[in-house]
Amino acid sequence: MVMRQAIGMLRGRATVPLLLALAGCNQQQSALVPFGEEAAVLRHLTVVMVAGAVVIALALAALMAWAVRAPEGRLGLRGGERLILVAGGVLPTVLLLGLLAYSLPAMRPRAVAPADLRIAVTGEQFWWRVQYEPAGAAPVTSANEIRIPVGRTVLLHLEGRDVVHSFWIPGLAGKTDMIPGRRNVMAVRATRAGLFRGQCTEFCGLSHALMAFDVVAMPAAEFDRWLAAERQPAVAPAGAGKALFLANGCGGCHAIRGTGAAGAIGPDLSHLGGRTTIAAGMLRPTEANIAAFVRHPERFKPGVRMPAFPQMSEAEARAIARYLKGLK
Amino acid sequence: MSLHAQDDPGLRHAQEERLRAAWKPPEGWLRRWTDVNNNRVGVWYTLTAFAFMLFAGVLALIMRTQLAVPENDLVGPNTFNQLFTLHGSAMMFLFAVPMFEAVSIILLPQLLGARDLPFPRLSAFGYWSFLIGGIFVLGSIFFNAAPDGGWFMYPPLTTRTDLSGLGADIWMLGLSFIEVSSVAAAVELIVGVLKCRPPGMRLNLMPLYAWYILVVAVMILFAFPPLIAGDVLFEMERLLGWPFFTAEKGGDPLLWQHLFWIFGHPEVYVIFLPSIALFAMLIPTFARRHLLGYPYIVLAAVGTAFLSFGLWVHHMFATGLPKISLAFFSAASQAVVIPTGVQIFAFIATLAAGRVIFSTPLLYATGSLAIFVIGGLTGVMVAIVPFDWQAHDTYFVVAHLHYVLIGGTLMPLFAGLYYYWPLVTGKKLSDRMGRTAFWMLFAGANLAFFPMHLSGLMGMPRRVFTYPSELGLGGLNLASTLGAFLFAAGVLVVVVDMALSPPRAKAKRNPWDAGTLEWLAHPDDEDWGIRSVPLIETRYPIWDQPGFVAKVDEGRFFLPDAEEGRRETIITSVLDARPVAVLRLGTPSFVPMLTAIAVGGVFILTTYHLYWWALASGVVALGFILRWLWSTAEIPEKPCKPIGHGLELPLYIAGPQAPGWWAMFITMLADATAFSGLVFGYFFFWTVHTGFPPPGAGPGAAWPMIALALTAASWGATLAARELHRRGGVAPARLLLGAGALLSIGSVGAGLAGPWLSGLDPAAAAYPAIVWTLAIWTAAHAGIAAIAQLYALARSLAGRTTPSHDADVGNVTLYLHFLLFTAVVAYATIGLFPEVA
Amino acid sequence: MIERLRARARSLNVTLWTLIVPPTVWAAHFLFSYLWAAIRCAKTGSFSTAPGVFWACTILALLVILASGWIARVQSRTPGDHPPHEEGTETDRLRFLAYATMLLAGLSFVGVLFTAAPVLFLSDCR
Repeated sequence: MVMRQAIGMLRGRATVPLLLALAGCNQQQSALVPFGEEAAVLRHLTVVMVAGAVVIALALAALMAWAVRAPEGRLGLRGGERLILVAGGVLPTVLLLGLLAYSLPAMRPRAVAPADLRIAVTGEQFWWRVQYEPAGAAPVTSANEIRIPVGRTVLLHLEGRDVVHSFWIPGLAGKTDMIPGRRNVMAVRATRAGLFRGQCTEFCGLSHALMAFDVVAMPAAEFDRWLAAERQPAVAPAGAGKALFLANGCGGCHAIRGTGAAGAIGPDLSHLGGRTTIAAGMLRPTEANIAAFVRHPERFKPGVRMPAFPQMSEAEARAIARYLKGLK
Repeated sequence: MSLHAQDDPGLRHAQEERLRAAWKPPEGWLRRWTDVNNNRVGVWYTLTAFAFMLFAGVLALIMRTQLAVPENDLVGPNTFNQLFTLHGSAMMFLFAVPMFEAVSIILLPQLLGARDLPFPRLSAFGYWSFLIGGIFVLGSIFFNAAPDGGWFMYPPLTTRTDLSGLGADIWMLGLSFIEVSSVAAAVELIVGVLKCRPPGMRLNLMPLYAWYILVVAVMILFAFPPLIAGDVLFEMERLLGWPFFTAEKGGDPLLWQHLFWIFGHPEVYVIFLPSIALFAMLIPTFARRHLLGYPYIVLAAVGTAFLSFGLWVHHMFATGLPKISLAFFSAASQAVVIPTGVQIFAFIATLAAGRVIFSTPLLYATGSLAIFVIGGLTGVMVAIVPFDWQAHDTYFVVAHLHYVLIGGTLMPLFAGLYYYWPLVTGKKLSDRMGRTAFWMLFAGANLAFFPMHLSGLMGMPRRVFTYPSELGLGGLNLASTLGAFLFAAGVLVVVVDMALSPPRAKAKRNPWDAGTLEWLAHPDDEDWGIRSVPLIETRYPIWDQPGFVAKVDEGRFFLPDAEEGRRETIITSVLDARPVAVLRLGTPSFVPMLTAIAVGGVFILTTYHLYWWALASGVVALGFILRWLWSTAEIPEKPCKPIGHGLELPLYIAGPQAPGWWAMFITMLADATAFSGLVFGYFFFWTVHTGFPPPGAGPGAAWPMIALALTAASWGATLAARELHRRGGVAPARLLLGAGALLSIGSVGAGLAGPWLSGLDPAAAAYPAIVWTLAIWTAAHAGIAAIAQLYALARSLAGRTTPSHDADVGNVTLYLHFLLFTAVVAYATIGLFPEVA
Repeated sequence: MIERLRARARSLNVTLWTLIVPPTVWAAHFLFSYLWAAIRCAKTGSFSTAPGVFWACTILALLVILASGWIARVQSRTPGDHPPHEEGTETDRLRFLAYATMLLAGLSFVGVLFTAAPVLFLSDCR
């Protein structure tokens, strides 16, 4: 039941009707709907290979039907061996060498310049630590949401903190694992603006299915303005929320720029109000959702590190939620 | 004895009585389980593996029900993770591999006209190990303690004891136990194919099934041991905190991934090739002609075996390894398609050339080929690195692997079930139910798995217990769930068909009119396997050798009698199957079962951290093993016996002609492979860390070199003992064996002294941990060498080893060869490499 | 000269061990390629754009495979006819093994070409 509640709150959109679902209306998290150059190349590769596979499968099926029906002796020993050698050996060799030569260049990574924006993303059970590292400026910390400028090369530095995770934004590029003790890099470039989604794809524990994030591709100039604003301390709304937040020791794990809260264990909450989801892509950032999550995070994310606050009153939780929601 | 002697029905009857007495199965409610005859052990094995498959299938149905609609809450993540971990692990370790071994234990002796496999008790041991291990692993789910880290068990999620519980140990130790029994079965099957063929069955006349089994068993020898090495490291980390996979302490999670997939990819072909081997048997039968392209099939089997060891990194394309490394594996993954294509076209050509009788087994065969081809084509796609970056760990891969495994393993097994059921039970299964089931399975598989290609590319990762409705994946998943249930219903029809079989009338002998030896089996089965061991002159002797069946039945070929009341089979040479000796086979005994229980105890008790009890169980196991060995290689009451047609064969052989020597050689190859997995670990750390090995922190060169010298001396003593013994010098040989045992014990001490005296703390960092592991591995092997040397000494003192009957001394020497190799590599690595690096 | 070589080849033994010579060469070359790239990339961060060692080993592997394939071809034609080698005679066993070795040499040759192809297309360790 707990899970039902949790997922029932998932962004709260109406269930997609069956027919629409079959038609594939998912535009946010699909390798077939690219918004980046890498993913576009891969979709092209996919289409070519699928077409080839369909032709080969049909041809083989036809050949098999013929073989079963062919009268005895239709094929002699020499003819049969020639068929095996040519169709079973030589033809695949030629086709596969061609495919290899076609696919190998697509493995070459995108060239990166020192001036390109770097984003360090760390996978943790079950959320994403994000740090923007623009050339020649101090880094900006965020969490569970990645914003990238359209038309610019972005270099991603990917690491795992506790266990192996995998970073996948299907519309942008392929996936790369996040492995403790290793730093993987991936260079990408978005081609159009929009709201997209990524998800963890390496099994990482209880809430592996609940570890997603939003991807906002923005026009470059807009992105620059956003990053400059993000760098600033959060503007907190009036109310008791801030004091309660600090009094409950939330600052021990979470950081909010411009307040005393500087914890580095959990997600950075500065500008939480500007994010499109909370809890790693799981919940819409409504006051009710935030308050519920604060008191009982384990109901939404089994295995979460954050302790529950059952003793906290609903009103207090609401006040904290109002404060966090107001962090713009 | 001549051909004409067999004309006398009275003589034939007397022979049959003697054979029947020698092969009489044990009776009684308890004693019947001591049986070792391949007919019965093979059937137990098959039924157990089949039951485990049904169990794992039910787990999959629960998963599919949970995923039928988005945001479902039938099971929570805790249960779901156990379900998919157990489903994958059970299908791989408790169904696919054991099933191939089980079927081979039934079929191989019959295909080879042998009375039984060379080591019937080893088969029984393998079965009991499998049963105990399987129940241990699967039973855990009823206690909510099943492994939940995925069948690939990636650390650190699974090695950190705060993130994973007992389930990880159950997986690691329970399945290690089963891996050991798989290696035992591989030894049995290799020796069976190489040494137990009937006279005249040269390599070019061997049934293709035997070729495949030979290839697959050899693959097991090289594929399973790296996983066993990985299991050792894994449990050292979990139980003792040795940080092989912990990045902060100099370990690396990727080491496990390498060791796991060095096993994991060949594993795919280990379970695929035997199923294709069933095709190679049944397609000629229903095409009414010899298989066209016999050498091409051999090429394909051997070629696939080799290439499949160059594919493991294609499960690691997303790990961020250098692109050039990925590309090598991508290229090899493409190349492996070629031998697979060759096999498929050999079958197509055979069908085209022959006069096809479209039977139920053939329906399954062609249908599974169609499914397999789709899986193969998507396999080519995921072998392309950039495409795999998208498809990896999504439902696309789930679709791919199920197409491959259903088309390449499960459905071919059903083809084999319908084909070979009359061979085992004497009765045919229903054609109508078989065909109904086929269409349900075929439609169900496609409905279940085809939509997964799409759901994967549309963003659905694997191993998620739920998905948000807004991703628009609900319809595709619902279709998959319906397909899964349709498929399960098809399996149910097959089960019902099997259950309805006992009351049905017996079919005629060889009901499909096949041409290969196994169809000599009579519907009213006798336990002796084959009435007389035939002389083989063609690939399809029942078709092509005139009067063949009658001659076999009338005992006109070899070994038609059991004069001494012993179970016997003929040993032949590897290339041309020239008769070499008569082997006396093991008889029913409690020892295999008790050994399996004791060995299982070691693994199971360790899981619960009952180390002293585990040690006690180990000592008991050692006692049983020695007791078991003691009864082998007995000195016969006479040197030779006639087997008919004027041939006299020795009853005792030693050295490379003997099955025992081959068994030791093959076991030690597997052992050396596991060891090389550990050495790989050492050098893997060297490549990934600049400060490895840390200067001045090692065990030094002195103690490792002393240990090496002692091992070499022990080896020399054993070698000298063998040579002296052979020349009649029994007393000096005994002295040398005793001295060898002392030297071996000395090398144990010296080997451990290096890391001990230099104060290496294995829990502190990966370097001391791997040094200790190599030292302990080598020392343990030296300890076993001491036991083996003392065993040979005891055999000599007991009069069971004499200068003319010296198989034991020879086998111990062979063990020492491998020990010396291990010691050279291990001590050079830990003692000398730090000086060089 | 060729005749003498042919006679030499014919006199060589054919066993299960010789059957696996070509794929073993492929395996050795594959292992070498993997280790060469892995160690170069881990220790120096790059491999040279014209990797002489790599191509030398590749050509060596191809030559060994060619040689074993040629020997096998000569042996498979010992008395001079074609498959199926399904007589119960020593010659047919020999011709069958040699023929299978020749096919394996073909596969292994192609396999080495596949393995070597990436080095033509990729030139750095990223």
